[in-house]
Amino acid sequence: MRILRYLGPRLLLAAITLTGVAVLVFISLRLIPGGFADIVLGPFVTPESRAILTERFGLDEPGWVQFFKWFWALLGGDFGVSLVTQQSVIAELLRRAPVTGELALLSLFFALAVGLPLGVASAAATARGGGRIGRTIGALGASVPDFVLGSLFIFVFSVWSLGLKAGGYTPFFEDPIENLLGMVLPAVTLGVFGMALILRTTRDAVLRVLTEGHVTAAVARGETPRQILRHHVLRNASVLILTVSATYFGYLLGGAVIVEVLFSVPGVGFYIYSALLNRDYAVVQGGVLFVAVIFVLLNMLVDLLYVVIDPRIGAKRG
Amino acid sequence: MVAALTSLWRRDRLSALAFAILALLVFLGVFGPWLPLGDATQVAAGPRLSPPTWAFPMGTDELGRSFLPRVVEGIRYTFLLATVAVIITAILGTLLGMLAATVGGFLDMVVARVADVLFAFPALLAGLLVAAVVGPGAASVITVICIATLPLFMRVVRSASLSLAERGFVIAAQVAGATTWRVILRHILPNVMSVAIIQITYALSIAMIIESALSFLGLGAQPPRASLGSLLQVSSVYLTIAPWLVGFAGLTLSLAIVCVNLLGDSLRDAVEPLPGRTLT
Repeated sequence: MRILRYLGPRLLLAAITLTGVAVLVFISLRLIPGGFADIVLGPFVTPESRAILTERFGLDEPGWVQFFKWFWALLGGDFGVSLVTQQSVIAELLRRAPVTGELALLSLFFALAVGLPLGVASAAATARGGGRIGRTIGALGASVPDFVLGSLFIFVFSVWSLGLKAGGYTPFFEDPIENLLGMVLPAVTLGVFGMALILRTTRDAVLRVLTEGHVTAAVARGETPRQILRHHVLRNASVLILTVSATYFGYLLGGAVIVEVLFSVPGVGFYIYSALLNRDYAVVQGGVLFVAVIFVLLNMLVDLLYVVIDPRIGAKRG
Repeated sequence: MVAALTSLWRRDRLSALAFAILALLVFLGVFGPWLPLGDATQVAAGPRLSPPTWAFPMGTDELGRSFLPRVVEGIRYTFLLATVAVIITAILGTLLGMLAATVGGFLDMVVARVADVLFAFPALLAGLLVAAVVGPGAASVITVICIATLPLFMRVVRSASLSLAERGFVIAAQVAGATTWRVILRHILPNVMSVAIIQITYALSIAMIIESALSFLGLGAQPPRASLGSLLQVSSVYLTIAPWLVGFAGLTLSLAIVCVNLLGDSLRDAVEPLPGRTLT
């Protein structure tokens, strides 16, 4: 019951957020220079074909009627059709989502596997008056743009392959090992920023918790540093780390455009980007909405996880 | 100025170095066109895709243009767009954050929610949408940077202002009949300046990343203009035969962003030190 009281307002806000995004996306579709009909039909449009299109998409109806029809279809899972191929946008998005999902998971894994231990080590070093190495790695990782790093990887690994593949995608169920070998470079390219993010967050969170009274008390009781770290510090720091990881994961699910283009990984970002180049705006908008939905769902999941990690959160806020 | 820099060098070499490099890049960006670095626009000034030589310190691009002045041109454009966009968001975001905290109620809730949504939404995806509507170019780059960096200011300034709004001097001003705007500009703004300035450095680094990423995707700087990102896009085609082009452009861009981030870190450490403690 308490959980429901905690989640209720959040569900409502998620619904409001998604509706807001849908309104924005709808308006932007109508705002595109040249107008919807001209984009679909191209420059050599005859009045007859324009009439057919107007009837089919209901373009002669008032704007709000069009919006509600479109929104109603959206609620039923109909994201529209591609202006170029006339195929269902949602079918293509769902087909590509697992690829982006795999890339995102691998990147998150890399970011956490490297960033967490480095962050804790960096916090320990900072507490002793050092911490310059952690600081430099953090700044470097957060700064080198993914396309610079990706280009570097492509250059290095196209000269010395080292068993990894730069570019070229193999479906996972066709050959899992080949697939993973091809995904390592894109995942690391994408994950370096997250590694720096997690490193900085972990370091700051740990440093903040270290000065709290319960840590001093644990030190006074004579607990070993390892025990204190595990029971008192990391558990408290984990809420912040989880927030940042979740935000980062959401970013990965939608923001992998450059890495997917660079390494020709056929994911959602690549799809939306090539649609933009083809002026296939229906796909761009369907894709943005799709990512927004995933994003909001992910945030809901994180809100739930907070309650598991820190029961006070569920109890405190109504 | 010199004394301050010397003491910074003694205390923190890394930040001092970052500051020096950044100053050099800004100098190149501002005065580049008047420096004797060569002509950025002259086609066939030398052989095509030539490696670095004395005449062409960074080699030549696919049209035989000297690459060094092209990179300087890129620094100029990338810094210009990033700065303009960050000035807009810094003013807008700081005002919104202060207003939300002082007025409170519905406005505060809306600002907080909008900041949450914007903060987390992938900037490049928003960029694709904006580019579809506005068309590629400077306007859409600035719009996307604003969308992505606005929440940085809204969040931090709002939370700093929330605690200020309960302090005696603010309440005293309100009791004395000061308008909301006067309270915000005269009493709250001076006290949130330091946190806002730290956010400016982070926003600048994000802005440069977004600008170059959009240009790399062909949605930012349009030819004949060059930004560091569009230079990278064009030269990545010749990655295997002329790797130094990607190398110089990528290095310059990364260096600029690293320096801005390092400066931001040291500013933040100065304002809000996190000493931590040892566990024994």
